[in-house]
Amino acid sequence: MTEPILSLKDVHLRLSSHAGPVDILRAITLDVEAGRSVALTGASGSGKSSLLMLMGGLERATAGQVCVLGADLGPLSEDALARFRRAHMGVLFQSFHLIPTMTALENVATPLELAGMPDAFDRAAAELEAVGLGHRAGHYPAEMSGGEQQRTALARAIAPRPEILLADEPTGNLDAINGAAVMDLILSLGDSYGATLVLVTHAPELAARCDEVLRLSDGRLADRPGAAA
Amino acid sequence: MSLPEQSAFMMAWRIARRDLRGGLGGVQIFLLCLALGVASIAAVGSVRQAIDAGMTREAAIILGGDAEISFTHRFATDDERTFMRELASQVSETVDFRSMAVAGSERALTQVRGVDRLWPLYGRAGTDPEVAPNTPLQGANGEPGALMDPILAERLGLMPGDQFNLGTQVFELVALLVDEPDAGGSGFALGPRTIVPLWGLDGSGLLGPGTIYDSQYRLALPEGSDLGALQSRVEARMGDSGLRWRDTRAPAPGVAEFVDRMGAFLVLVGLAGLAVGGVGISASVRSYLSAKIATIATLRTLGAETSVIFGAYLIQIALMAVLGLVLGLALGAGLPVLFAPLIVARLPVPIDIGLYPGPLAEAGLYGLIAAFLFAIWPLARTGQVRAAALYRDGSSWGGLPERVYLFAIGALAVALIGAATLLSGMAMLALGMAVGIVGALGLLALAARAIRAIARLIRPRLRGRTALRAALAAIGAPGSDAVPVVLSLGLGLGILATMGQVDANLRAAIARDLPQVAPSYFFVDIQTDQIAAFADTLSGDGDVSRVDTAPMLRGTVTRINGQPAAEVAGEHWVIQGDRGLTFASEAPADGEIVAGSWWPDDYSGPPLLAFAAVEAAEMGIGLGDSLTVNVLGREITAEVAALREVDFSNAGIGFVLTFSPNALGGAPHTYIATVYAEEAAEARILREIGSAMPNVTAIRVRDAIDQVTQALTGLAQATALGASVTLITGFVVLIGAAAAGEPGRIREAAILKTLGAARGTILTSFALRSAILGAAAGVIAVLAGALGGWAVLESVMDSTFSFEWVSAILIVLGGALISLLAGLAFAWRPLAARPASILRHRG
Repeated sequence: MTEPILSLKDVHLRLSSHAGPVDILRAITLDVEAGRSVALTGASGSGKSSLLMLMGGLERATAGQVCVLGADLGPLSEDALARFRRAHMGVLFQSFHLIPTMTALENVATPLELAGMPDAFDRAAAELEAVGLGHRAGHYPAEMSGGEQQRTALARAIAPRPEILLADEPTGNLDAINGAAVMDLILSLGDSYGATLVLVTHAPELAARCDEVLRLSDGRLADRPGAAA
Repeated sequence: MSLPEQSAFMMAWRIARRDLRGGLGGVQIFLLCLALGVASIAAVGSVRQAIDAGMTREAAIILGGDAEISFTHRFATDDERTFMRELASQVSETVDFRSMAVAGSERALTQVRGVDRLWPLYGRAGTDPEVAPNTPLQGANGEPGALMDPILAERLGLMPGDQFNLGTQVFELVALLVDEPDAGGSGFALGPRTIVPLWGLDGSGLLGPGTIYDSQYRLALPEGSDLGALQSRVEARMGDSGLRWRDTRAPAPGVAEFVDRMGAFLVLVGLAGLAVGGVGISASVRSYLSAKIATIATLRTLGAETSVIFGAYLIQIALMAVLGLVLGLALGAGLPVLFAPLIVARLPVPIDIGLYPGPLAEAGLYGLIAAFLFAIWPLARTGQVRAAALYRDGSSWGGLPERVYLFAIGALAVALIGAATLLSGMAMLALGMAVGIVGALGLLALAARAIRAIARLIRPRLRGRTALRAALAAIGAPGSDAVPVVLSLGLGLGILATMGQVDANLRAAIARDLPQVAPSYFFVDIQTDQIAAFADTLSGDGDVSRVDTAPMLRGTVTRINGQPAAEVAGEHWVIQGDRGLTFASEAPADGEIVAGSWWPDDYSGPPLLAFAAVEAAEMGIGLGDSLTVNVLGREITAEVAALREVDFSNAGIGFVLTFSPNALGGAPHTYIATVYAEEAAEARILREIGSAMPNVTAIRVRDAIDQVTQALTGLAQATALGASVTLITGFVVLIGAAAAGEPGRIREAAILKTLGAARGTILTSFALRSAILGAAAGVIAVLAGALGGWAVLESVMDSTFSFEWVSAILIVLGGALISLLAGLAFAWRPLAARPASILRHRG
């Protein structure tokens, strides 16, 4: 068996609130193999997004170990985590989180520029073409539809060719047709260069398109079903 | 791998440039606060420089010549005149003294200048009707003519052609003196000016031996004369003659020093305004960055490091700072030009309004440091924004910035205070002010926290008072605008309160308390053969309670223990210019001897003197030291035999130096007298003494007090103008805080309306929260003002402090009103908003 690209061991996440500490995730242990697609499902508040953010180093575990590509994210500083994400991960959000003052092209080029790539804009243009938005390169997010914004966000997430793509309900703000189109793109583009996909979703039909489905309930992994069809 | 430094900067620059496309929404307050602070400092500095330039340009006119040699109590000897004529192409002689102008039953104090035909050597006197230059001042019937200040002429009821007396001489008023070209160089005068020909004074009986007068010899020098070398030559030849030298390098040192000090003080007030603006800058940057949290978190998700993100926003703040500086400098340079006619009309000195890079650079430096000083704290928070902020509110936006940022803030504060200390030329005041501002900011920050805690504590006990409870809830809530409001308004009002306390205390001391202990009149120039008659006349007067007299001469302290006085005592006021001297065989009744002993009645040994104890300590003089004074060109050395208390605060006779009679008794001298009388009898006493002794000059203490009070009013107006910029900046910060809080108030109003609150209740709640915060800031400001006023009066002015309630109440009410105005200006949208649309959008 190959070494997992993502490995979580007895991970806990506890956050403080005005009402006292809240346990968001408890004793999560899981491995994800490289090149596979995994869906995280569960009711609202079950901890899906938090788990995804822990995998991306956007959140820090209160206890336990999160290893990505063999690197323990725990001891890394915020800047080291940023560099790690830049090199190995792409993140896709439900609310797109495009930078409103940047055009589609600039949004896609930003992670490439941050990685110091001299041809950032050429590559960004190619990525936009790949998601069918070459003609929208000069548009600002506010001038695009939700579907177009999410496709731009997808182009931005995969432009640096990350080994891991983390997607937090990427179709949650889209209608069925746009959602299906975006999902097609996520799977096909990820597949095209062998990226590992972790997808948070409420939709069973989207989860069913992944290699593996994990269900969370009250901050715990509820069961460990085998690979989906 | 992290980006190389250059790439990191370029990346930060690209992000900054793109981010700025979103506009500078919310930073108007930043720009206004910075621009106002910089503009006020630049404007004050420009005006100060314009006065310097004007005085340099007109130096010879102000001085009345290229150089001036003056003597006290005497005119130049023939030898001295010959020497001066060798030096100069022209020598103009004038004499300056105080006297009483008498017209019928009216009499008034006047500062007389006797002039020769060459006066004015430079410039031209403005008269009404016009008198051609160098025309002999002569009346229609051959009597000497005179030019007179219009105010004095009106007081005496004189019109051109009328006659009046100076001493025993009759003069004809030829014209009114509208513009005296060399007035700026004359220093402080108690009476308005009268100009008469020197020859007309010969028969006036006013310039007798011992009479107090100064003679001046104005020299017109050849082009390119070396003034320094000339001064050395004159001092080498006439150094022990008691001469004073002035030249165009410093034509009016007193005025120049006053302008410099006033300017520096106003620049410091401007810096305080910049500190108030700093609160606005800080709040504005914080609000700007709060709107950027999602962008910052997204950049973090995409792999941006702290240095890139901090750099991107530092660049944006720097660009805003440059914009604010440019606005402020343009305003500061433009305002004096715009108001040039008004400034020229109000200031009694020549002024060359123009563009002066020096003061603009100084203002720019202060502004630049202040902008970063106050922006770095909120800017440092960009490093605390984590990517998790994208999906969870309440990200880690708070707490202390990292040590490196705190160090930068400390370094910038030191730089700002250091620059103010060095550039103001008033190091102690600058440092004191810095300590005051930092202390006040600390006190206000604590007070803001206390107000919030108290609001939270009281709120639950106010059941049934919805508006007040809602107001206190808003003040105590997380994210309340209590801190910026209390800081900015409190600091602005605190500066006004300090000035208010100082001004009110000074006025009280001078205008209210002084007349109760001060004499009614000073009489000077009483001749030795008149003093017995003078004393007899007044001692029999039932309205006169007390008469003090003392012989008086004027002289300059030239040496202390054989060394030049300035080397021992620096720039102490006692050795600046000439000073009143007296002699007495017995110790005066009202001055306790604190060291040494008085000389015997019939003392005839080496000259002795008694010195004022406080001044002796300041100058480092003790018993047994020797002092040399120059009186009428003669050097007299005496040994300090006693140190005594001299009280100058009651405006009585108080001499720093009292000699043994054998030291000065032989020199020509006159007498000075103070007369304590009923106010109603003052005019009669003046008439009686004036008629019997026309050469005697009376100085009414009430008039002098009025004049000092007027001067104080002018100073208070200038400082109040400076301080008002501080308050305007404070108001801008309040507007900013109110604008930033508007969305919250819209939502609050929508919810309250949904729950059934009437608009009146909501408005009352908004008004109450503003008024409570404003009044609280006012109370803290009054406390800080009392502390500041006490420090200034007790330690700087050597006066006593008493709390002035009127000023304090005005400050508290003013604070409440200003805060109320700012709050209500942003109350209408929340009141007008319809709940459904607001709440639907907010979800």
